[in-house]
Amino acid sequence: MEMNLLKNKEVPLLFTVLWIAVFSGALYSLDKSVIAFMGVLFSIILVYYTKGSNLIRFALGAAVLLLIIPLVAGDNRYYMEVATQVGIYVAMALGLNIVVGFAGLLDLGYVAFFAAGAYAYAIFTTSQANEFIPGDFFPLSGEWFWPFLIIGLIVAAIFGILLGLPVLRVKGDYLAIVTLGFGEIIRIVFNNLDKPINITNGPQGITPIPAPELLGIKMGTPFYFYFIVLFVIAFIVLANVRFEHSRLGRAWIAVREDELAAQSMGISLLNTKLAAFATGASFAGIVGVIFAAKQTFVDPTSFTMNESIAILVMVILGGSGSIPGVVLGAAFVTVLQVQLLKEFSNFLHGLQQSGLINLPSQLDPSKFQRLVFGVILVLVALYRPNGLIPAKRKKDDIDSIKQSKHFGEQQGILAKVAGRK
Amino acid sequence: MLSMLPQVLVDGLTLGFMYAVVALGYTMVYGILEFINFAHGDLFMVGAFVGTEVLLTFEALGTLEGMNPFVAFFITLIVAMAITGALGVGIERVAYRPLRGAPRLVPLISAIGVSFLLQDLVRFSEAIYRNEFYLNSPQLFTGSLELGFATVPQKAIMVMVIAIVLMIVLTLFVNKTKWGIAMRAVAQDQSTASLMTINVDKVIMLTFLIGSSLGGATGVLFAQNYGTIDPYIGFILGLKAFTAAVLGGIGNLRGAMVGGVIIGLLESLSGAYMGPLTNGAFGAEYKDVFAFSILILVLLFKPEGLFGEAVKEKV
Amino acid sequence: MAILEANGLTKRFGGLLANEDVTVKIEEGSITAVIGPNGAGKTTFFNMVTGFYEPDGGDVILDGKSIKGLRPDQIAERGITRTFQNIRLFKEMTALENVMVGTHSRLSAGLLGILFNTKKVRQEEEKARVEAYKLMEYVGIEHIANEAAGSLPYGLQRRLEIARALATNPKIILLDEPAAGMNPRETVEMTDFIRKLKQELNLTIILIEHDMKLVMGLSEYIHVLDYGKKIAEGTPEQIRNNPKVIEAYLGKSATEAS
Repeated sequence: MEMNLLKNKEVPLLFTVLWIAVFSGALYSLDKSVIAFMGVLFSIILVYYTKGSNLIRFALGAAVLLLIIPLVAGDNRYYMEVATQVGIYVAMALGLNIVVGFAGLLDLGYVAFFAAGAYAYAIFTTSQANEFIPGDFFPLSGEWFWPFLIIGLIVAAIFGILLGLPVLRVKGDYLAIVTLGFGEIIRIVFNNLDKPINITNGPQGITPIPAPELLGIKMGTPFYFYFIVLFVIAFIVLANVRFEHSRLGRAWIAVREDELAAQSMGISLLNTKLAAFATGASFAGIVGVIFAAKQTFVDPTSFTMNESIAILVMVILGGSGSIPGVVLGAAFVTVLQVQLLKEFSNFLHGLQQSGLINLPSQLDPSKFQRLVFGVILVLVALYRPNGLIPAKRKKDDIDSIKQSKHFGEQQGILAKVAGRK
Repeated sequence: MLSMLPQVLVDGLTLGFMYAVVALGYTMVYGILEFINFAHGDLFMVGAFVGTEVLLTFEALGTLEGMNPFVAFFITLIVAMAITGALGVGIERVAYRPLRGAPRLVPLISAIGVSFLLQDLVRFSEAIYRNEFYLNSPQLFTGSLELGFATVPQKAIMVMVIAIVLMIVLTLFVNKTKWGIAMRAVAQDQSTASLMTINVDKVIMLTFLIGSSLGGATGVLFAQNYGTIDPYIGFILGLKAFTAAVLGGIGNLRGAMVGGVIIGLLESLSGAYMGPLTNGAFGAEYKDVFAFSILILVLLFKPEGLFGEAVKEKV
Repeated sequence: MAILEANGLTKRFGGLLANEDVTVKIEEGSITAVIGPNGAGKTTFFNMVTGFYEPDGGDVILDGKSIKGLRPDQIAERGITRTFQNIRLFKEMTALENVMVGTHSRLSAGLLGILFNTKKVRQEEEKARVEAYKLMEYVGIEHIANEAAGSLPYGLQRRLEIARALATNPKIILLDEPAAGMNPRETVEMTDFIRKLKQELNLTIILIEHDMKLVMGLSEYIHVLDYGKKIAEGTPEQIRNNPKVIEAYLGKSATEAS
């Protein structure tokens, strides 16, 4: 029954409102309660499944995200910091969803595009750029953050196209291993591009990267980053929704389902895949810029294969190609990584200090990441290959088709029938 | 600069033979299931750990010193092959077989999961057992052969000899025995093979058994040759062995062997000469980049590899 | 005038000559059948005409221009489309979306247009949706517009595949065994339907089929392949009485016995 309530979007409005009230109250009074925080996050999913008009759902969701979380986020807005991390991964997972979910291209080097965005911002807003550009134009100030959201997008998209041009000609399963290799290449290159010309500063990384600035206000706190990320997610969700049921979205899914049939429908495989690759990459690029500004420091260790796999786990677990699914998957995996495992590890350390158990430091649960990802991937593949919230194609409203002003026209090949009669 | 060439070639050959044996595992599984077994590199890693643990146990028991190094080596090899072989079969049964016929991405995702799982399981077991997961393998062969122009360590000779023996045995098995012929039949046409009363499931099991134990054996060779191992050695080595399989023509045994040797030599050459040739601008740190670039170039311009036949698409 | 000419098409797979010097001329607005025993190279011939295989020799000429070496999507854009022997639908999409995919190359929406949901894009989408629905009506399957394509029964899948092909607005449609797996009644319906396509849409139709009743009743001209070579061509009447064809189908003994 529980499942049916969810499936048919029939969670009573009152229940959702109560849920939000209880958990936001709990988060406010019990500082740093993970359970309360997860309850608040889950209320967004609940809102999605609540009975009522789209307007009500939208208003409720906006209230949770824009008002309640900022108000109850705890000491030093700790949970806004966590929510920002969740948001960064949600945005990246939605980008990868276009590549893996819609177009069916298993990209295991996705983090490379994230790195491209992050380095683009880092290099030009520190004195690093002076190393290879003559003159003394740099660092750029934090006000450049805003144009760099677009520049990061473009840089990553260009990266996507340059990598995609050779890689996407490769057939089928090979793509996974080639992108894996490319991800490694990019990391190695960033790690070593401190010579012959110092572009990335190699393993030392680049710092200090300035926080965003607007009209003289420095926006370096979690409070500001939370809203910046929220804004970017809104943009990426909108893009996902629009692409999904468009000429391009259909072409992506057609290519995913059957490359040969897609070609015989006039779909160019390379162009269509490139569009998916570049779009997915560009979203990662934007997020990379935010990441660099938030961390104030970038180095190649932030862009390993682990990150690529983490984002893949989010997409697969949530439901490849399903927008609400991917959001859920990303939120769950991020909270698991940054919160649950850490809590568990603190708990065990507590036990250890009281002398109850003896725990080798290598067994620290905060290092469980690969194990957890491995288990999730195998279990999802075996028991729920379509993810927690499977993707579903929207049904068209036949009546509105029949009422269309174009219904009387004869288009395409049918114009010939009309011509003959 | 040329004076170091013989040494570079010896190192490259040693590395290449290891790639070749691991590549066989990729190529056998791909030949039969058209599936990239992402976890294969990690089975190699498991083999390295099992072998090292066997030797460490001998050492702890004090029996290693009196033991003939060849005997110790063969015991290690057999145990590692048995355990990784069984592990490979188990993984196929649990994580891959239920997914036959599922959409193409699903088994691949399962395999990536298995790969991660194996890495952490090994790390945990070692962390619990030894409190650390970087192991130093006891060295059985410490001498070396002075050829004047190059020094060939005994352990490198062992790597090459064992690798060649394994490849010869495999070739004989596939070409001369009933099960080997069944494997080739299934690789060509699964449904027809099953009509000919070949038990396809058993053939696939056998493929995983052989491929995985070959990977495990290579792990032992690796630990002997390089001394230090960690749970992550399977990833890069697996990627390069896969490159070797593709270069040779995936599905083709002879191709995997030749491909492995070529990749090993190229890597060794590029590691030694890229720095001097570019005046230090691009040094040995780019040797992995070199190997992956080969993978991409082969897939683009000669996807059927050196020995593979151009396959026609099933329209 | 011939709308499509295949001149001396040759395709080799390893040592096997799948097509050897096959020359075929197709008249505009005709129904032509390509027949032959299993493994005669019929589908290989289709694959070369539609660009899925590049010929090792020979040329394909559409409306007087060579289309050899073009990709399948480019050939589809130039007006040749096809169906597949083992139906290839986009299973996860709805039936209507499958047909809409067929309109792909006639639409122009790009990344930015879709992102900003411009008026032009919205209008184009609406038109494409209407066109797809009307094509489904034309084929007689509009009642399943919202079903997932993969869940449809076999006969409807065949029709959906044809509707999808029609959505590309082709001049020539290649049907690879359109009646395979159908019962006699469905086969008759399919025969009538193909005839209607030719008459009402002025389509040029080339088909591969094993059902001789359908082939003889429907096609105006027949080409016979055997072991990759063309052994005969002619009207159904001529083919029926051609000893070489009978031999190819029934073996040498049959001709000697008769």
